[in-house]
Amino acid sequence: MKITRKKYAATVPSMAMGDIAFNLLIFFVILARATDDSHLQWEPAEAVDVTTGGVSTVSVVIDIENKYYINGQQVGIAQIAPQIDELLGNAPIEERKVLLKVHRNATANHFEPVIEAVSEAGGQLFHILEEKRESK
Amino acid sequence: MRRASRTSKLLIEPPTSATGDIAFNLIIFFLVCASVQPDSGRQQDIPRSEENQQQKEDAKNIEVAITSNLNAVSINGDMLTTSQLPAKLGALLIGKTRPEDRIVIVKSKMDTPYFHWIDITAAIEKSGGLVTIQREEEQTIEVP
Repeated sequence: MKITRKKYAATVPSMAMGDIAFNLLIFFVILARATDDSHLQWEPAEAVDVTTGGVSTVSVVIDIENKYYINGQQVGIAQIAPQIDELLGNAPIEERKVLLKVHRNATANHFEPVIEAVSEAGGQLFHILEEKRESK
Repeated sequence: MRRASRTSKLLIEPPTSATGDIAFNLIIFFLVCASVQPDSGRQQDIPRSEENQQQKEDAKNIEVAITSNLNAVSINGDMLTTSQLPAKLGALLIGKTRPEDRIVIVKSKMDTPYFHWIDITAAIEKSGGLVTIQREEEQTIEVP
């Protein structure tokens, strides 16, 4: 008498796959939100010659209501210079880029102190602008 | 009774093989949504004020005053239209090779909008000038 051995299907347990992927998703979303300023409302000004900004450790936003934000956190005007100075620290010149995102209708009394603060901190100012299409 | 006990022993597993794919697509969706922020723009080198002070002593710089009128601008006190600015600046900067001679001091009225300031400073830089800002000072005088 020949006894046939039972064959068991060796499948990858896929039950936990969804949970793992979901936790990864939460992790990445939280990580992205930590230094994110995408929730802020501002419209960029336009310029003809624009280049890509690249990576920066400091981002300053002046939103539609003329409020100031550094890396997504609201700050007062007096805190801008010391905070930029602290964030830049002793970084080399190529890592001292400061992205400036100013609402197109913000007035000089709001954006000039920020430009001055970046300049004083030794930051490399980079205005975030939208490319203007020149009409022929 | 026997039939009921037999069915309760069966392991009913929901179809989970597609859950990983759904979650992965969700990750891609959120990452794409997060990256639509604009990242293009223009670099601007603005000298520090200490340097400006030193340079002021050495050379007389060009002064551009941005007024509340979006079509007009003033160079060293002379009013001209914004379209005339690059030509006028180009003429004033001819022969100036040293960076300290090419500094253009930009004075803006407090109500100057950012988009206009960007246009004017872009024209200055295109003409070969180095932008530096001079802010309007606010002074509070207490009367005894």
